[in-house]
Amino acid sequence: MDTITLNPAAQLYRTTHPAMGTEYSLYLYAPSREQAAAIARPVFEEVDRIDGLLSNYRPGSELSRINREAFQHDVTTDPETFYFLVTCMAWSERSRGAFDISVGKLMKVWKFFGASGAFPSPEELAAARADVGWEKIRLDRGQRTVRFLAAGIELDPGGVGKGYAVDRAVRILRAKQAPAALLSAGSSTIYALGAPPGEAGWKVRVPSPHPEGGTISTVILRDTSLSTANLSEKNFVHDGHFYGAIMDPRTLRPVEGMAQATAISPSATDSDALSNALFVSRPEDRALLLDGRQQDCALVVREKQCGQEKQFAAEYEAIRWPAEVANGQLAALANAKEKVKL
Amino acid sequence: MNRRSLLQGLSFSMLAAKLSGASSLYGQAEGPQAAPSRRIAANDRVNIGFIGPGSRGQELLRQLLRTPGVEIAAQCDVYEPRFAEVNEMVGKKVPAHKDYREMLQRKDIDAIFIATPPVFHATYAIAAMKSGRPVYCEKTIGFTQEDCANVVDAVRKTGQIFQVGHQMRYASWIVESVNRVHKGDIGEPTHVYGYWHRNDNWRREAPNPSLEHLMNWRLYRESSGGLLEELGSHHIDIANWVFGEYPQTILGASSIAVYHDGRTVGDNVQAVLGYSKGRRMFFSSITDNGLMADQIWIYGTEGSLQITLEDATFYKQTSKTITEASHSDVVQEGVETGASFNADSAMPYRGPGYRLQAKPGEDATRTACGSFVECARNKRQPFANVDVGFGSAIACSTGRQAVYEERAMKIPAIHV
Repeated sequence: MDTITLNPAAQLYRTTHPAMGTEYSLYLYAPSREQAAAIARPVFEEVDRIDGLLSNYRPGSELSRINREAFQHDVTTDPETFYFLVTCMAWSERSRGAFDISVGKLMKVWKFFGASGAFPSPEELAAARADVGWEKIRLDRGQRTVRFLAAGIELDPGGVGKGYAVDRAVRILRAKQAPAALLSAGSSTIYALGAPPGEAGWKVRVPSPHPEGGTISTVILRDTSLSTANLSEKNFVHDGHFYGAIMDPRTLRPVEGMAQATAISPSATDSDALSNALFVSRPEDRALLLDGRQQDCALVVREKQCGQEKQFAAEYEAIRWPAEVANGQLAALANAKEKVKL
Repeated sequence: MNRRSLLQGLSFSMLAAKLSGASSLYGQAEGPQAAPSRRIAANDRVNIGFIGPGSRGQELLRQLLRTPGVEIAAQCDVYEPRFAEVNEMVGKKVPAHKDYREMLQRKDIDAIFIATPPVFHATYAIAAMKSGRPVYCEKTIGFTQEDCANVVDAVRKTGQIFQVGHQMRYASWIVESVNRVHKGDIGEPTHVYGYWHRNDNWRREAPNPSLEHLMNWRLYRESSGGLLEELGSHHIDIANWVFGEYPQTILGASSIAVYHDGRTVGDNVQAVLGYSKGRRMFFSSITDNGLMADQIWIYGTEGSLQITLEDATFYKQTSKTITEASHSDVVQEGVETGASFNADSAMPYRGPGYRLQAKPGEDATRTACGSFVECARNKRQPFANVDVGFGSAIACSTGRQAVYEERAMKIPAIHV
């Protein structure tokens, strides 16, 4: 029994699976736990396969091989990896470098690689400049090769890898004809396939960046994905400044002044990349990111210092956002900056 | 002498003659030595008679000297230079005997330690118990299957306190680890893998060639069960403890890979022991490479435990996919989006494991000696009692043949 159709006997099952440094969850309607597990197995085998392809924590991954060798010589890679890199380059170009998978060295200099971050020395930071930049990566479509133009380039798939894994896993769900499922890569990228019985779609709540701020918007998704970038999981405070694990490759520093960026797109790869690009982009560049992408939407929450020192306010910016936004919840951020870990 | 007689057990006197070249020291008789000892009161000093203070024996002796209320009252060895070594270690002249029976005749000895080659363990232990003394006997409790049964029988008949030298049972971190395994911390334990790898030739310097067999008794089949018995018995005991039963079968192999020096036991050994429900214990010992050292891995259906001589680490299976019924709130309330990084699983591929926070453990042999003295005073059977000793000894006495002939053998359940 490989495929299921929704029938009155179908129940909702949740399968969890650790991968890519987080826990994936798959919600799925099935007549029995065994049948839910039978569908989930190949879905997560696919997630693990992508992890083995793209992980920069695994020396044996294809991405790690490229990281090791692509400065010395042209590295011929498989079509899947190659077109994944092509997609990444396209997002770098579109975002004018705000999205950039060449931040691997920066993540290490700021100690966000396998750790929760620390302020680098000025020497480390200066040295990192030569080792970052998407324009130092050359892709040759004819030869299907990758080449780095700087010795220290390191690709970090953190801003897009989970989205890509979700897309690939959803292909399996479709092939198994799962009528309704929700796949979440640790909540930062979510794909909604079909809809639960009697519902218009799957509900996804966008929280306030303030831990006690509740939900600022609830969207109903069907056959599309949503991704969120925020700093709540990896961050540190240095000299009263709050630094999170999303890098601006142009300044070589963590982005400041941003709280959260959420994007909706039919492709989870795109929503993942877009949410990170929105987080890093300058305000005037954000709308351009969605230009010509009629199915994409965004909800960005930024913070600004106002009035006296240590007084903060949050404001949101919605681009084609399909649901209401509870502005009142954002007000809770004001004066709360000191006690929250954004 | 054919293989069969070797394996089924040489008589004590034959072995004594072989090892020391002085059979007269031992004579032929091994009957009970009627020398009822005094009763030990709770605060009395416990007078120890020590048989076999060689290399392992002296380690035991050193730990015994760290136990309060203990007097080393007698020593016994066929190799006289040991006496001076013991006197130096104890800091005074300890009355010496070349015949254990003479020592057992004394009235002022309360308990007996035995650290001779294992071929003598059963004989000495049985005689000591019959003489009315509690016994601490190094492993293995018997060389032959018959020895093993006889020692158990003697404990039953004399009611004496008997402790086997499986000191790992007294290491605080091992005790706590095994308790956790029994509570289900790694699911159902199904496999125990013991590694005892070292890089030395296992050879002692013999002062002259006539003493080769006495000094290097571990290297010859007449007097030694080889690496399986000398090292593997400790790990087999851990497996018995974890599985809560004795092994039923043993498959063995060994060879001489490096030290072609006339020894007749292997310089490496591999053994697979079968327990009920298909559970397995694997033991490997090599002597030309120390990687892995002395460690035991216990694999369960939900995790693993690594035990070393210093610590214990639990590893939970990190790649576990779980499917279960979901609450329908997900449909009504929705799911929340947010950052996905989870610090607890940053490196799920090779997690650091959970190190057991046991109290810093003192030397396990020290604890074992102290516990024995307490048991002797309070007339309690110790944790590492004769049943524990039987479990590893019967496996090793059977395993000797399995290893030499490279075959699988049934381990008799002659003691239940």
